[in-house]
Amino acid sequence: MRYSFAETLLSIAKKDKHVTLLTGDLGFNLFEPIQAELKDRYINAGVAEHNMITMAAGMAYAGFQPWVYSIAPFVTIKVLEELRNDICLSNRDVKIVGLGGGFDYAIAGPTHHMLNDVALMTSLPHMKVFVPGSSQDIAPMVLRMHEGKGPAYLRLTKAEKLTVSFTNYSACRKVIGGNKLTVIVLGSILNRALPAISGFKRKPDLFLVTEIPFSLPKSLIGSIMRTKKVLVIEEHVDIGGLGHYISSILHAKALKINSFDHLFAKGYISKHNGSRDFYLKENGLDKESITKTVKSLL
Amino acid sequence: MIQREKQKLKVLLRKKMLELAYNSNSHYPHIGSCLSCIDILIQTIIFEMGKKDKFILSKGHASLALYVVLNYLKKIPNTQLATYFKDNTQFGVHTPSTLPKDIPLATGSLGHGLSFSAGLAKAYKLLNKNSFPRVFCLMSDGECNEGAVWEAALFASQHKLNNLIVLIDKNGFQATGRTRDILGDAASVDKWRAFGFYVQSVDGHNLFDVEKALKKTQKNKFKPAVLICKTSRGKGVALIEDKLTSNYLHLTPEIYKKALEDIERLI
Repeated sequence: MRYSFAETLLSIAKKDKHVTLLTGDLGFNLFEPIQAELKDRYINAGVAEHNMITMAAGMAYAGFQPWVYSIAPFVTIKVLEELRNDICLSNRDVKIVGLGGGFDYAIAGPTHHMLNDVALMTSLPHMKVFVPGSSQDIAPMVLRMHEGKGPAYLRLTKAEKLTVSFTNYSACRKVIGGNKLTVIVLGSILNRALPAISGFKRKPDLFLVTEIPFSLPKSLIGSIMRTKKVLVIEEHVDIGGLGHYISSILHAKALKINSFDHLFAKGYISKHNGSRDFYLKENGLDKESITKTVKSLL
Repeated sequence: MIQREKQKLKVLLRKKMLELAYNSNSHYPHIGSCLSCIDILIQTIIFEMGKKDKFILSKGHASLALYVVLNYLKKIPNTQLATYFKDNTQFGVHTPSTLPKDIPLATGSLGHGLSFSAGLAKAYKLLNKNSFPRVFCLMSDGECNEGAVWEAALFASQHKLNNLIVLIDKNGFQATGRTRDILGDAASVDKWRAFGFYVQSVDGHNLFDVEKALKKTQKNKFKPAVLICKTSRGKGVALIEDKLTSNYLHLTPEIYKKALEDIERLI
């Protein structure tokens, strides 16, 4: 997924001379072509993220559109005050790119995981959050971020290229059509939810959300009104994630439903480390756990 | 402007700050810190900066000093300045985000201004290779406790940002004591020199001294510059000058009256 990002940004930066890339000393074997193209607009800001974020604000003030890249926790939770004061308060055109949303960094351990970035970032003024569901989402998403003037956060993961194709990019799309249950997933957990749901003969409706905030499309509202059962799945903590977002909209729109279930990241139950699937299993977010939950709701 | 006229500004703007602080009826305007840096602001903003140059007040708690200077330059009208500290004002204790042309960064949390200034100075150099605006950043010596200051210093030095001029208001105090008793002297010549800066030590209340040092920075081609300005917190008001209490002084009618008399003796 990060390669798709690098390719798309390169194509944008060739046309727009105001695009700059700041990296926190990351991107080995990734950014070399961008570095060659951008020359002095490519800046390795070193292992100094607080400075990097606020510098990006200064560059945006002068008319640049800086894209700031690091491992997700180092450009979100570590620098939250810089994001709030120096970028968001003045609605500056800075794009934050965090690699490794959710348990993506796997055995690198909890310091490299990012389970609450959506909550933190959506709470900041003007900040738009982009959570790709597959590598196919990256190109249209990066273009949207480039066109939208203001702060944005891209939650990159190693999410695989999906073999299924679904409708053109939008913030909320229907991936599978069915009935009895409305499943809504956030970004990269799609690659566990999709195989889980594909196994059922009578499938639920499956929607993929890749931007927050977003407006509920008519197709999703229609599905919820028909099934009256909602299941939200996300590789993110419950507070401030997609589940909260959906439930507050249901409440505001006074949509009556019979059940609301939520699969989310609970944290480090065993305190042991492992692969992404190890953490997903502990958190009830692996394919088998999702299958079990969906079965109980159908 | 002849030197005597400039000296009069030191008195005029101090009186304006005291008036606004007195009207606030609060201990919160950080009057001691404002009195300590006002002379650096006068020389830099009023007499040194070109039209495209930018000034970042990183020590945002001294906003009152910046407000009165911008008011003197007619960038903030009298009617607006009079709203200082009142409900529905743009002008609170820390600098706002609503006047980006003259106040590019809303500050108050220490340690942000130098990074912003370094990013801006770098951007100006990217936009034009031959001639570029300068960026002035005023910090306090206590603020140099912040780690981000040194991240920014490394960057500015590595990128040879000779259009970045750091001004340190070295009054020797931070909120609860002498800087030397808390984390040591983070505004020392050796530290800034070690980080690759062109360092000058000046008397931060002597406009001529500051002027000379600022002129010298223009000859420097490869390094960011820092003026370590020796100052006194509460400068000009005997009751609080170089005293810890200066930071949170509440101006009662008696203290205000005496302070105005003291200020007259500055010339």
